[in-house]
Amino acid sequence: MLVTALEFQSAAYRDAYSRINAIVIEGEQEAHDNYLQLCQLLPDHQEELQSLARMEDRHKKGFTACGKNLNVIPDMDFARAFFAQLHHNFQSAFAQGHVVTCLLIQSLVIECFAIAAYNIYIPVADPFARRITEGVVKDEYSHLNFGQVWLQKNFAAVKQELEQANRQNLPLVWQMLNKVEKDAQALGMAKEELIEAFMIQYGEALNDIGFNTREVMKLSAMGLLPV
Amino acid sequence: MFGLIGHLTSLQHAQSVAHRLGLEEYAAQGLDFWCSAPPQVVDQFTATSVTGQSISGIYIESCFLPEMLANRHFKTATRKVLNAMALAQKQQAMITALGGFSSIIFENFNLSQLLQVRDVSLNIERFTTGNTHTAYIICQQIIAAAQRHNLNLSHSTVAVCGATGDIGSAVCRWISYHLPQAKLLLVARNHDRLQELQAQLGHGKITALNEALAIADIVVWVTSMTQGIELHSDTLKKPSLLIDGGYPKNLSTLVQHPDVYVFKGGIVEHSLDIPWQIMELVEFAKPSRQMFACFAEAMLLEFEGWHTNFSWGRNQITLEKMERIGVASQKHGFRPLI
Repeated sequence: MLVTALEFQSAAYRDAYSRINAIVIEGEQEAHDNYLQLCQLLPDHQEELQSLARMEDRHKKGFTACGKNLNVIPDMDFARAFFAQLHHNFQSAFAQGHVVTCLLIQSLVIECFAIAAYNIYIPVADPFARRITEGVVKDEYSHLNFGQVWLQKNFAAVKQELEQANRQNLPLVWQMLNKVEKDAQALGMAKEELIEAFMIQYGEALNDIGFNTREVMKLSAMGLLPV
Repeated sequence: MFGLIGHLTSLQHAQSVAHRLGLEEYAAQGLDFWCSAPPQVVDQFTATSVTGQSISGIYIESCFLPEMLANRHFKTATRKVLNAMALAQKQQAMITALGGFSSIIFENFNLSQLLQVRDVSLNIERFTTGNTHTAYIICQQIIAAAQRHNLNLSHSTVAVCGATGDIGSAVCRWISYHLPQAKLLLVARNHDRLQELQAQLGHGKITALNEALAIADIVVWVTSMTQGIELHSDTLKKPSLLIDGGYPKNLSTLVQHPDVYVFKGGIVEHSLDIPWQIMELVEFAKPSRQMFACFAEAMLLEFEGWHTNFSWGRNQITLEKMERIGVASQKHGFRPLI
């Protein structure tokens, strides 16, 4: 479904946008905060992590402008509730010094979710948001995924924890997608397309880290299990 | 490295394959799950030519299922094909064949307009429909089947059903040139395209389906999609030879009569085993050697270093190209299945 120019200003579109836009802003905020926290667990990579945090902050500003452009007030309470469980899992792993779990949540789940959603959004976005989102996606593709590289280097040692973290966090993605299915649809994004794009991105990342195809398929299937 | 893009024949087939592969979580899922499933590289293998040359290949399962078309999930179907192509390109396959419905979807839904797939710009020169080799093999099967049943092709009536399609029009061109004495019947739904084809060939008679089936000694069945056309043995001449070049190959179960001989069209047998596991799932009699001719085309292009979209677009298959791929096919040890 393509959204026509007129519909960008409709009450229904803007209502759905208030939640989706808030999720995107909150997602970039979470990413920013997570990278800064990761500096404490990985002090040798402080500079790189800080630079990533700054990039996420720029993205957040861009998406905030997208909401303003449509005169939409983002529903940040909804967005914080949306990320609550994932946020909790990250904080709990951080408190225990579980860097592998932190990286899975940030560098795999959040990043893959974001890139997948942005790619699906671009063709149906209003012209202003399209330019911003294209810039963000270009940014994301232009740097190596920090977590992916780190996990790949330490694959043998981190494999088991990654599997556990995947089991714990992947079902959340399905749950989160279900919560915004209708709103995403109102913006022209089908749930099956979002899941597919996420699974492509996530599967590629797991594959790069060192899992073989069969393991990736097994890990992906965890998303279908109850939280 | 070459690539093959394939898919399973039905949801039920997909569920049973998932079960056989020990992926129980997938086996329990319905069509919705397959609509959002990403493509996967499910096999990697080496193929060897009778010349001794070896090449490596990958098999990509696109997760497309024919039910997606039947349920009018056209956007989903097109995404499956594009995503599988993007994966082949990311895996650095130099030439990839679009198997089963993939090439039909690419053509019918104008996917050449949608070549940007996320961060991948599809290079269509790296893909082939494999239709030239399929058409060549079907023509060889016509000759072999006629010989087996003592049929003089020069005095035979050959009906090509799906004559205006990519493979069908190539078969018609070949028959017009190599069997000018044979009576060629052109069968298809679109009358304008039929007239265009007849004008190009300067040969062949436009005929309605049932009329053609009643008088043809050989029926070449190459309709691109099973859109409500059904074939029954009582409509066919007895005896007759039926070359099933459609997809999926189900005419041998639909048409059962002792005087109607059904051949699996567009299938080749290699002279050497290929150590792939995935073909075990496709239900060929000899899965280590038998395959769709379109897949074999990707192998031939890789063996020969012809990294180009040898078969592409609609009705571009020339006799010269069929000849060229035929020579390569024999050179590397492929034979039409009879």
